[in-house]
Amino acid sequence: MAYLTQPDYVKYICSCGQLKPITNLYFCRHCLKIRCGFCICHEVDSHYCANCLENMPSSEARLKKNRCSSCFACPSCFHTLSTRATLARDPAGGDGKPPKKMYYLSCFNCRWTSRDVGIPDQPVASGGWPERTNPFTSRFNQLLEYYKAIAQQEKQEKLDKERKKFVTRGKYINLTDKTGLTGAMARNIAGLPSSESSSTVISNFVPSQASADVEELPEDYHLKEIDLKQITRMSQRTSCPELQPSLASRLSPRPRALCVKRSQRCRACDHNLTKPEYNPGSVKFKIELLAFYHVPEVKIISYETIKPGGTSALLLKLSNPTAHEMTIRMLQPEDVPDTEEEHKTIEKTLEKSLSLEKDVSWNACFPRRPPPSRAGSVGLPAVSLTLAQRDDAAEYDDEPPGDNDDIILWRKSNKLALRLKLTTDPEARVGTDAYFSFAIQYSYRNTVPPSATVVQHSDHTLYTTVILDLGKVCE
Amino acid sequence: MALYEGIALIQEKQAVVLDLGHDYTKFGFTGEAAPRCIIPSSFWSPDEKCYKKVYDYKDEDELYENLVHMLHLLYFRHVLVNPKERKVVVVESLLTPTLFRETLAKVLFMHYEVSGVMWADSARLCALTLGTNITLVVNIGALEAEVVAVVHGSPVIHAIQSGPLGARAVSTELARLLDEQYGAPLQLSEHVLEDIRVRACFVPGRARALTLDDPSTVGARGVSVTGPDRVLTVGGKARERAAETLFLRNNELASLPDLVLKCILQCPIDVRRELAANILVTGGGAALTGLKARLAAELRHLVTLTPYSESLHGLQFSFHSAPSPDSTVSWMGGALAGAADSGSRALLKDVYSRSRRLRDWPCLLHTTPPDHHHWAELQC
Repeated sequence: MAYLTQPDYVKYICSCGQLKPITNLYFCRHCLKIRCGFCICHEVDSHYCANCLENMPSSEARLKKNRCSSCFACPSCFHTLSTRATLARDPAGGDGKPPKKMYYLSCFNCRWTSRDVGIPDQPVASGGWPERTNPFTSRFNQLLEYYKAIAQQEKQEKLDKERKKFVTRGKYINLTDKTGLTGAMARNIAGLPSSESSSTVISNFVPSQASADVEELPEDYHLKEIDLKQITRMSQRTSCPELQPSLASRLSPRPRALCVKRSQRCRACDHNLTKPEYNPGSVKFKIELLAFYHVPEVKIISYETIKPGGTSALLLKLSNPTAHEMTIRMLQPEDVPDTEEEHKTIEKTLEKSLSLEKDVSWNACFPRRPPPSRAGSVGLPAVSLTLAQRDDAAEYDDEPPGDNDDIILWRKSNKLALRLKLTTDPEARVGTDAYFSFAIQYSYRNTVPPSATVVQHSDHTLYTTVILDLGKVCE
Repeated sequence: MALYEGIALIQEKQAVVLDLGHDYTKFGFTGEAAPRCIIPSSFWSPDEKCYKKVYDYKDEDELYENLVHMLHLLYFRHVLVNPKERKVVVVESLLTPTLFRETLAKVLFMHYEVSGVMWADSARLCALTLGTNITLVVNIGALEAEVVAVVHGSPVIHAIQSGPLGARAVSTELARLLDEQYGAPLQLSEHVLEDIRVRACFVPGRARALTLDDPSTVGARGVSVTGPDRVLTVGGKARERAAETLFLRNNELASLPDLVLKCILQCPIDVRRELAANILVTGGGAALTGLKARLAAELRHLVTLTPYSESLHGLQFSFHSAPSPDSTVSWMGGALAGAADSGSRALLKDVYSRSRRLRDWPCLLHTTPPDHHHWAELQC
């Protein structure tokens, strides 16, 4: 909960250089690197309607222009519209027919109804609502046909030009002369659009006609009383890009836009990092490689105020989220070995030289922000600490926190509290942000089943750098 | 339909058209008559805990991040397609800064791995929606008004006119008039000003505009606008005078009708008459009530004055109306251009990855014809 409601006091440095809290990070089990939303590849996984929680296959979603077929949004306030039923009496009346049930759409938020804009009530509850068509569609299609014909002609001319370079009409009879097959017929047989039809499209096209008179405002426009409630707001106009109605009477209910579930993929190795379940009602994942489940979590318990040139105590809590025992050592951020070039094997380089596209290292052009300058250094213990594996049942054990010395404050199942000493720079200016950082070296056991081709070690030593935000430097 | 589905699998994916305006972004598919979404060009920034505008940037890195966030919003919230291996048509102004173009190219090619980008200038695309050969495009955007003559499919670069006469200029003037009316600075947000401008403001006709300063003129009726925290009374003066700033002439001849006439004046003499007869006024700013009629009247009046009367004789001004709402005309041109040639004019990803540069008209490398003697001199 603290991660949702509070500012991010502890940030990790992602492999791309971004600073993110641990809840926003992913961990690729194949590259063994921390990834974040910025350096992974997002993909559309499945379409669904957020209102009725109905799945829609992507081909159908494409046909329906990503709109739900049963839910409507209010054109006035964008809330979901509800279907309401009334009993319609026959206006002729009195011939003994039972009153029919009629339906209209109504917004429970702003009280807009489909009757306001003159849409007749429908005899069935679902669908059948008249759709406003785009008045410009036919002209658009004319234009599109025209430009397609021009593009076709251009292509044809280019082809003809190229052909003329090589073929010199001479004494030899060619195929078309011998068989009486004309070019047009050959095109027809081959199923290509005949060149005549494209030229008729071009010749039949009528460009837009300019007119000298522009519609003027009426003479007494400035004296007319205008009702602003009848004039739409900008957001109401833009919600309907085809018509952009300027009068409230032209608004019409719009089918609700669909949402997508996304899956995430590591850019370096193309493995999935997260993959959601297909069911729109479920918030679970099929694959979920979050850093929160793989990287030791650091939390601040408390700290003394930071003063320039002074030392202050810092209490940290480390916890091991994995199901294996973890050995942790704390390092200064400068001491992290550069792991970039370590795992280069012959296979990897070969793979790289084969797939040239992956070689375009987009990372190279990506802006790497330098981490914020530190206000001082953290005094780190030189010993390795061992964290037990996570055990959900241990929460209920009434084990006394044991094992305390001058560094370790207490220890409980997979958690550990540390007492560290902060040394602030004498030059640190009062009022500036107090950032401290340190690196963690941790052992990680990879549980990915080894594939046939790649021999994977299951135990790794990994590094991550953590940045602590300890408020401001005080006097 | 089943057949088409099959074709869609083999054929290239339908390209998307991106018109990243200063205030509103239009985004949708090629071959469709209207964009799928028109949204404000801003995104929620979790770091700064506020909505951040794409165009608020100090350096390239910040712009890169803004564009990544904005495109993520467009692709995954509104259009719901994978950006990967899909072509993009970018609708841009001819005066887009090089930094912005190159950063956008970097984001599209490197971050989103699109397969190709077609860069198209909005003036030419606006002309495409008419199908006329010679068009004078007056594009009134959020910040700038641009006047570009498009002659047989190519913009007359040396005659381009532009000035800070977009919708923002009207908003600023509106804020000033409202402050004057209330006698105290109101500090209205941009959003409120836009709302008042769109719903309450209008451009009076030329006959009325001439009498505005006359004390005997009856003022326009005021309206009350419900803002987020209070009800504002917008006086008639603010309603009808806010857009007067576009028509204000000064020594630099920088009013909107002046820009149009200067553009015609700087074009080749044999297209001037045609240009005047084929004017298209577009852009979100042109949707202001009464603006087009006023511009027409001002043009007809101004052309009889110096310095235009000496060179421009007997011009007949005629106006086109595009087959689309004003704000999406250039987007629609992009949708037409992208669908018609099916992406053959696009800059492909592998070409970009070989040399990271975009064609641009101010660059001599791209505008010098291949048979020019400079190339030979460069060789030796």
